Amino acid sequence: MRTIVVGLGNPILSDDSVGIKAAGMVKELVSGAADIEVVEAYAGGLRLMEAIAGYDRAIIVDAMTRGGCAPGTLLRFRAGEGVGTRNLLCTHDSDLETSLSLGRELGLALPEEITLLGIEAEDVDSFSEQLTSLVRAALPAAVAEILSLCRLQSRESPHPPPPPIEGTATKLSSTCCSLPLP
Amino acid sequence: MSRITIDPITRLEGHGKIEIFLDEEGEVANAYFQVPELRGFEQFCVGRLAEEMPVITNRICGVCPEAHHMAASKALDALFAADPPPAAKKLRELLYSAFFVTDHTTHFYALGGPDFILGPDAPPKERNILGVIRKVGLDVGRQVIDCRARNHHVIKTVGGRSIHPVAGLPGGWSRPITAAERDEIAAIARLNVDFAQFTLRLFEDVVLKNPAYMELVTAETYTHRTYYMGLVDDRQRVNFYDGKVRVVGPDGSELLRYHPDDYAAQIAERVEPWSYLKYPYLKAVGWKGFVDGAESGVYAASPLSRLNVADGMATPLAQEQFERFFETLGSGRVGGRYRPVHYRLATHWARLVELLYAAERMLELAEDPEITSPDLRTGPGAVTGRGVGCVEAPRGTLTHHYEADERGILTRVNMIVGTTNNYAAMSMSIKKAAEQIITKGKIVEEGMLNRIEMAFRLYDPCLSCATHAIGKMPLSVKIRDAAGAVIRTVSRN
Repeated sequence: MRTIVVGLGNPILSDDSVGIKAAGMVKELVSGAADIEVVEAYAGGLRLMEAIAGYDRAIIVDAMTRGGCAPGTLLRFRAGEGVGTRNLLCTHDSDLETSLSLGRELGLALPEEITLLGIEAEDVDSFSEQLTSLVRAALPAAVAEILSLCRLQSRESPHPPPPPIEGTATKLSSTCCSLPLP
Repeated sequence: MSRITIDPITRLEGHGKIEIFLDEEGEVANAYFQVPELRGFEQFCVGRLAEEMPVITNRICGVCPEAHHMAASKALDALFAADPPPAAKKLRELLYSAFFVTDHTTHFYALGGPDFILGPDAPPKERNILGVIRKVGLDVGRQVIDCRARNHHVIKTVGGRSIHPVAGLPGGWSRPITAAERDEIAAIARLNVDFAQFTLRLFEDVVLKNPAYMELVTAETYTHRTYYMGLVDDRQRVNFYDGKVRVVGPDGSELLRYHPDDYAAQIAERVEPWSYLKYPYLKAVGWKGFVDGAESGVYAASPLSRLNVADGMATPLAQEQFERFFETLGSGRVGGRYRPVHYRLATHWARLVELLYAAERMLELAEDPEITSPDLRTGPGAVTGRGVGCVEAPRGTLTHHYEADERGILTRVNMIVGTTNNYAAMSMSIKKAAEQIITKGKIVEEGMLNRIEMAFRLYDPCLSCATHAIGKMPLSVKIRDAAGAVIRTVSRN
């Protein structure tokens, strides 16, 4: 079971870098694990689809700007549930869903399960390598969530199977006020 | 004030805001293209070491980091008075050619092509790369993905890192390639030449042989007679990596040919009160508003522009296509050169001519005996205080301008990115498209978004680095009456 963790975003655009920062922390913590690859990605669409091809499972971590919830709120969902984070689409080719459909039609070995972890951002309009405070404070929870997903994925039976992700999205942090889901 | 929202989903989910203003008679008075504004790039850079710029600027945008890396490296050559050895320039251009191949290929099959291969009136959900491969075959889809993969591999090999190259240095390049790597790259370049030719044949079958599409391409709706800009080599041929900036008028006569270092003397930026965008125009002509013609300083910088300013292509197969392009579109020769083609939808064809050129140029460079030379660096001289680097990005002329103190610490940064050049031209194209769907206040909503999108899609605007923005923003078209009230909003989230 090979897992890829993708930190997605712009590394110099304030909170848009949160996915990359979280993935970077995970990379240090899982170093040596042969079945887990941690990478950065900077564009969605075809490029993201190509990045996760060849793996059994993918965890994509990205900033989101849904509004209606506090910065730093974590939201976990699966690809195809219609929930969007900031960078899943590439304006120069296509969105992730179309890209995944293309990859499948072409017979690429795409992960059966693609989990997305969105982190609500506050500032994605300013150039900075720093996160805003609430988003920075969410990093440990995001990292823990990714590690948890990785561990669950690397376990084989007789360990209990991972709990299903219910509904369209799973709210993970208590900072979220009623999140409007599609 | 009424407001209607429709919500189709297409491949370009849209990152732009379009405002359409009507006059008292309900006719289109103006149309503007707005993109989100990001803050603080210059402040982000000032105070840093100038030599960091090739790896900072390539992070502005996840789509064309290679273009920023090249422009930044060239600006540093000038800033540190270090002209790179020939092999370093060739390696840079080799990587850059691979980048153009993958970028232009992707645009055609994922964005530009669907309007023709599936038809402009096909359901939006089908008008994407998935629809294209269902129409032309899975094998073509595989070839597109293979083309991207092999050229990404070349970029990684030559640039030292996947996606964000790191090999560019003031005065050269940090990573030589081995003979084995060269052979692999040459083999890849040959595949690229084949696939570019295939793609041009596909374009011929689908578009050139279809009178309805040729009518669309040459329709007045998608025609503008403006100035054009692009880099040319010393024989006035298209060059992506280096050269002088040439500007020709609507009649094809040369207005300017200048070293990129002089850009500030040639280009001014128009500020409009209703937009934070700055609209570049030609100082020598002056700003006359968002209008066509030789009296208006509006110019375009795009694949079509590059062909229009050039005397030809520097590679044989692309030169054949270049001639075919101008002959087919009815542009006669004057003084040894073709007159410009003003049909903006022909940009899609021009992009494919460039694709073939990039592939051929890549092969030439891979077969150059000097390409494996380890002599890749000229040591930095004294800091000159100023450096301008200019390349052709896929979407237009890209200029980086840095100023630094005697220690090489940045004091000023300015950039004109490819898309920015085209802001005025894009607004004009959108206006023309809007005029076709709005008459006396009546709005034909069916197909409206796609007609407008076709007008700006041909420029393939990079809304990321144009405002130094990355992210998703819904496409929203607002139509305002003469009093400024919003009478319609057509948007897609």
